[in-house]
Amino acid sequence: MWTFNVDETRPGRSAKSQEEYWRQAADEYGAALQRLAWAYEPDPDRRRDLVQEIHLALWRSFENFESRCSLRTWVYRVAHNVATSHAMRRRRWRAPVFLTLEDIETQEAPQNVEESAGRHQALERLLALVQGLDFIDRQLILAYLEGLDAESMSQITGLSAANVWTRIHRLKNVLVRQFHSGGTHAK
Amino acid sequence: MRSDYLPDDLKSLWKELALNPVPVSADGLRRESKKLRGGLRLRNTFAAAVCVFAIAAYGFFFFRSRTAMERIGSVLSIAGGINVIVQFLKRPGQTVPDLGAVESVRFYRAELERQRDFHRGKGIASWLLPLLPGPIIFNLGFALDRPKFAPIVALQMAGFLALAAIVVPLNLRMARKYQRRIAALETPRES
Repeated sequence: MWTFNVDETRPGRSAKSQEEYWRQAADEYGAALQRLAWAYEPDPDRRRDLVQEIHLALWRSFENFESRCSLRTWVYRVAHNVATSHAMRRRRWRAPVFLTLEDIETQEAPQNVEESAGRHQALERLLALVQGLDFIDRQLILAYLEGLDAESMSQITGLSAANVWTRIHRLKNVLVRQFHSGGTHAK
Repeated sequence: MRSDYLPDDLKSLWKELALNPVPVSADGLRRESKKLRGGLRLRNTFAAAVCVFAIAAYGFFFFRSRTAMERIGSVLSIAGGINVIVQFLKRPGQTVPDLGAVESVRFYRAELERQRDFHRGKGIASWLLPLLPGPIIFNLGFALDRPKFAPIVALQMAGFLALAAIVVPLNLRMARKYQRRIAALETPRES
């Protein structure tokens, strides 16, 4: 269930240094940031660059942090914004074809994920699905997969909570359709 | 039902994504941050130096020119160069982007608008367009005064026009593509 939690990661009023904020962000969200980079950049070398670019942007952004929102919201906003810029720069002349939820909902789901693929392939399929989504839906599905609540997603994206709920509901339906056709489990 | 817990299962699947450690250190970031600032300063200094050089060159041409047309072209080129320097000086001085303060949808829309305006020729065009009449008039005056160079100048002009004929429609097409994506972003999808 989606609950509107009070964000416990919101830092107190005590002023931390730029480096302290970055260290905390890297410790708590380092792995999530790397997974986020997977969603935006399939090429391993460029993905590595993107992760470093995100960390550099975080470092620089903490000059202006001043606890204006929770650390988690700040980190995800910076990361998504940097990754969006990165992906747009990369694809400027390649006319990217992003899929909307409507497109995916009308696609044929596979007959049985378990039969055709193991856990590794299921992960690859999930990654391909995430990478093909338009940026906003991609951000939401990433936040969902990372276990963020709807309130946090609303703060990160700027979408209304109701809009987040609606989209997440549809994203979950898409996941069920794509990974659960035939009633078997992906495990 | 299984479909109730499958999305949650995908969450644990997602966390299994292979993560190769990316070396990032505070010292490294501090160095990169300084380098970035230095790079921006260098870029601005380079652009200003190019403009100063162009102004000096056209200033020289102004005094050495044989025709009024060349002199008018020189004066317009100098004015265009000064305009670029003034535009540079008027730019906001923020070097640290406030990425964390901007929600991702607002940021994405702003990026799309920036790309659209770039392809429409806004921004850069407002800097570069005032630069064009000067050299064109200067070259025209140069060619009229020295007919043996006229074919070279004509070739330059033709090349420029041909490039514009290709680049302008291509950019406008890209701008329309970005506009469609902005429109799609603004279409409410709440149901």
